[in-house]
Amino acid sequence: VLASAWMDVATALADLTELSSQVRRVVVIGADDAVLGAAPEGTDADSLARAALDVVSASAQLRSDGDVSRVEVSLEEGALFVLREGGRIIAATTGPRPTAHLVAYDLRTALDAIATEPAPAPKKPRATRTRKKADPPVETGDGDE
Amino acid sequence: MRRFFRLLLLAGIAYAVWKRLAGRVPDETAVVSFADGSSVALESGSPDFERLAALARSALWS
Repeated sequence: VLASAWMDVATALADLTELSSQVRRVVVIGADDAVLGAAPEGTDADSLARAALDVVSASAQLRSDGDVSRVEVSLEEGALFVLREGGRIIAATTGPRPTAHLVAYDLRTALDAIATEPAPAPKKPRATRTRKKADPPVETGDGDE
Repeated sequence: MRRFFRLLLLAGIAYAVWKRLAGRVPDETAVVSFADGSSVALESGSPDFERLAALARSALWS
């Protein structure tokens, strides 16, 4: 449902936190490392974003061609998920022992919904005036046979 | 009656063994996936894991 149409960051994150009960806090970061949005209200978006960017940076050092797409760090006190796609990053914290693939799926769906540009509205066909042809004469069937 | 206690004792031993084995499963893990489809699982206690864990903790407590 989320990916079916473009939506703004706030709406996508509100949907995410409503649908995914495991997600506690979430932040979306743009290609310029700026915070695009966070949820729920009161989340320290800057701190969460900084930690997510640091996680991506540290993970990228694991390999020389480290184009990181996803990081999951699961700890006793909770887990941190960071997904990167198309230059954008979505990061979320959960409680302990989350269902990792479900959380990742929900995060990716939300990120896709935000990243998908709105499709241009289909152009309406220009109304053209056409002169109606005169109705053909109705045969009454009274003719001689 | 003796048979019942023997069964109970066996069940208790089995439970203790299961608890001990389950406790060995690491609760803390880190997995890094890359754009080419590959991934790296970091063992708890390794320097790379500890670095990511410290960052994750700062996110969890921020």
